[in-house]
Amino acid sequence: MAGANSFHCSVVTPEEPVLECEATFVAFPSHDGEVGVLVNRAPLVHKMGIGQLRVEAVEGEAKAFFVDGGFAQMVDNRLTLLTEQAIPVDELSAEEARADLDEALGARASDEASFVERTKAIDRARAKLRLAPSG
Amino acid sequence: MANRRVLVKRRKAVRNIRKITRTMQLIATARFQSAFSRAVATRPYTEKLAELAANLTRTTGGGSAHPLLTSRDQVRRSALITITSARGLCGGYNSNVLRSTLTHLEELEGRGIETDVHMVGKKGINYFSFIGRELAEERTDIDDRPRFDQIEPMANELIGRFTAGEIDAVHVAYMRFVSTSRQRPEVIQLLPLKQESRTDGFAASTTSVQYEFSPDPAQILDELLPATVRVRLFQCFNDAAVSEQVARMVAMKAATDSAEEMITSLTRQYNRARQTHITMELLDIVGGANALA
Repeated sequence: MAGANSFHCSVVTPEEPVLECEATFVAFPSHDGEVGVLVNRAPLVHKMGIGQLRVEAVEGEAKAFFVDGGFAQMVDNRLTLLTEQAIPVDELSAEEARADLDEALGARASDEASFVERTKAIDRARAKLRLAPSG
Repeated sequence: MANRRVLVKRRKAVRNIRKITRTMQLIATARFQSAFSRAVATRPYTEKLAELAANLTRTTGGGSAHPLLTSRDQVRRSALITITSARGLCGGYNSNVLRSTLTHLEELEGRGIETDVHMVGKKGINYFSFIGRELAEERTDIDDRPRFDQIEPMANELIGRFTAGEIDAVHVAYMRFVSTSRQRPEVIQLLPLKQESRTDGFAASTTSVQYEFSPDPAQILDELLPATVRVRLFQCFNDAAVSEQVARMVAMKAATDSAEEMITSLTRQYNRARQTHITMELLDIVGGANALA
């Protein structure tokens, strides 16, 4: 199955493997920006950030997911994305994301841990809002 | 006369019970299958995470200095999560888990360690209130379909308290699923993380790869270890859910079988009583006829 210009891509969450496919291009959110992966990419281990994961599969159309942190590993033309949450973009709801954002913005941070938690929640909600299908 | 009616009534009651237990057995079987496939689905994530962790620890040169890996010399306070079920009728499932919990608590108490017990499941909560022990936390919202977003906050809180030095160890008591015919109650140490001695093929196959790390390996490890803790706890919950269904399956099968046995013996008793009655009536008639003749 694996052609000369495709590699294996798997997206795994603790609850289940979300995606297993041959892909020609994958872009994932890294902790400090977006990383694109093509075939024969040098081995990498990255910490992922919050944002959009795009997978251009060999078969079918491109898929997009919302991912919330995790780790990416590329070795021997196998890209493994470990994340605690991967939601297909078309399952996101703008309304829910907006409510989450309001809640996160309204939360009070009293110490460092809760501040970090609050910032993360805001980022998460903003990313969801950005990715959610409009209307 | 009365005896026979009582027998019929009892047989009817036992038949109804058999119907119920058989249905429960079937339900447990179906639930077991779905719980089992869920538990299996977490495996790829866990394995990959363990592989990455092994890789990183090697690159960072040991990594044993990480706070989540360091066991403390003096343990003063610890936390214990006990996973029990919300519903009964599952044989010795809950009592086995609770027994190992109590043994563990007694052992810690003997060493002068205070322990906060976080109890999951109604059965465990009821038992602890019955024996009059305090619980630090009671959770009844996690059912036999644990979701990761339920477990995550719980793990994060414990990690936070562990790093802050409030507690020095975290254990989990649950029913480990070994196979469908074997489950055993276990108390495992969640924190500090124990590095598993890797005997499988992972380590050997990935030694020579030069990875590009971003950020540096130590920082990735900082993120990876809490993730490992979270998924390990999640696995405990999944295991417990599978074991619970197996235990219920077995208990209900035994109940159905013994109901069947009881029905057979009741039927036999009834037939005998009926036959005795007929014989007696015949004797009466024959005796009466003889007297008249």
